[in-house]
Amino acid sequence: MSTLLTVISVNDGKIKRSSLEVLSRCNELASNNGMKSAALVIDSKASEIAEQLKNYGPDEIYTIENPIFKNHLNTPVLKALSTAVSQINPKVVAFPSTESSKDVLGALAANQQTAALSDMSEFDLTDNGVKGKRPVMASKIISSVEASGSPVIISVRSGSYDVVEKESNANIEAIDFNFSDEELQITLKEIISSSSDRVDLSEAEVVVAAGRGVKDEEGRNLISELASVLNAGIGASRALTEAGDYDPSLQIGQTGKVVSPQLYIGVAISGAIQHVAGMANSKVIVAINKDPDAPIFDIADYGLVGDLYKILPPFIEELKKIKQN
Amino acid sequence: MKFYVCIKQVPDVNAPLQIKDGQLIQDADRNILNAYDASAVEEALVLAEKHSGEVEVVLAGPEKAKETLRKALAMGADKGTHIVTNGDEDFDSYAYAKILSKFFSDKEYDFISCGKQSQDTDAGLTGSMLAEMLNLPYATNAVGLEFSDGKMTVKRQGDSGQEMIEVPAPGLVTCSNDMNDPRIPSLKGIMQSKRKPVDTIALNDLGAEISSDDVQTKVLGFEEKPEREPGKKYEGEPDEIARQVAQLLDSEENVI
Repeated sequence: MSTLLTVISVNDGKIKRSSLEVLSRCNELASNNGMKSAALVIDSKASEIAEQLKNYGPDEIYTIENPIFKNHLNTPVLKALSTAVSQINPKVVAFPSTESSKDVLGALAANQQTAALSDMSEFDLTDNGVKGKRPVMASKIISSVEASGSPVIISVRSGSYDVVEKESNANIEAIDFNFSDEELQITLKEIISSSSDRVDLSEAEVVVAAGRGVKDEEGRNLISELASVLNAGIGASRALTEAGDYDPSLQIGQTGKVVSPQLYIGVAISGAIQHVAGMANSKVIVAINKDPDAPIFDIADYGLVGDLYKILPPFIEELKKIKQN
Repeated sequence: MKFYVCIKQVPDVNAPLQIKDGQLIQDADRNILNAYDASAVEEALVLAEKHSGEVEVVLAGPEKAKETLRKALAMGADKGTHIVTNGDEDFDSYAYAKILSKFFSDKEYDFISCGKQSQDTDAGLTGSMLAEMLNLPYATNAVGLEFSDGKMTVKRQGDSGQEMIEVPAPGLVTCSNDMNDPRIPSLKGIMQSKRKPVDTIALNDLGAEISSDDVQTKVLGFEEKPEREPGKKYEGEPDEIARQVAQLLDSEENVI
């Protein structure tokens, strides 16, 4: 029976929502096409993660556990992936579109001499591969694509599918894997800015994004307060990350992160196309901007025209009241 | 040190676009050096200046892509190679990586770099495909590069922060455009670029036979993105509109 294999992305011991979205889609496709949906966990604590996955309906769970996977390094991850693909022989290998998967997607395809489609916004099976859609040209337009091969390797944008909880009594199978330090081609020296203590931006249900108009500490404090009331991830436009006001990992847009929250609040963000490419899939968009002609108002569901320093304090107060009730 | 930078000519994503019968039409036939590749060129130039090295740019593309190769030479690259394609092939990332791997198979270098993705397809696959085909250690999505003792220290954007990775030479790095502002060629640079050596290689002469098996992904067509309808604009007293919208987010949208 053909297998659809979802590679689960784990960050600090937590399963990324985006991988459960991909797994849910693969479960659906497998059940509609008489195939098997399998999940693969490559992590230093893979067996613990595997137990949690039983709540999300895979038919089979594979684990590759090794201390080397504590931090992402492409050499061992690639070796683990090719070991798993050789053993499982799946029809499709599907990743959530994370920084770590972007790092290995092409290399895995080259290693398996097969096709890859990255950053898909929807996908379906064909007789000999995968077809679907992906945004191109700075997400301005959508292209329809297909790939044939065995396996076809894909990555899927976060927010493209809903997570469907479904209990399963999937068998957990550990795949044999050895890795010696001599094989390590690259070395990790340091992780500079860990954002693990914050809400993960690409996974967040609510995102508050700061733009050029957030000029000073008072503005940044208002952003933090708003994010804290809503338990939101904080993002920023390129102007602010380049100015050093926000960590580069918080940049939303074509070159930064793609977010797809239930609620996105853009504060003093004009809506440049590069930024919009990273947030246009948000369910509800709120924009706060002084300039009534800012392009973000063309895509915002709620556009507040005015000075953020005057709008945010009463907005935060009102949200606090709503939260308390 | 010897640096090769792989570059690509892409349509300008900021030029007006339209879709007709599923095909993408650019109102202005504006083609540019891929912005991520420009960043890779800039970084290679900075490192070569610092470590007295040489930068060579390589481009696979049709005849008209030569202007983009000249742009990189005008920025300061020492030499260029143009692998000439017909221009009507539907090459995907895999095919490009295969062409480039063939080119590099008999070359010596310390590092190959390229943009982390191209602006037209946004696929982001060619760099790590090429590294794997050449069996090179690599790092993707670099936002900072330092070279010393035959090693590259790459600051890259990872899922849980910025990672400092050491990549030994020979290796490959893909660059984000967050690492620098690529220089704009000076008039002197543009003049000099015309005298710089450019090797022209026909795809067939490279011995990189790209068969239909190497192009495993196909673009079937294009469509407009469903447009978001603009919602309501709230203007007036900040206190009032702030409260009103906060309440609507709760009562109408149920997202609070």
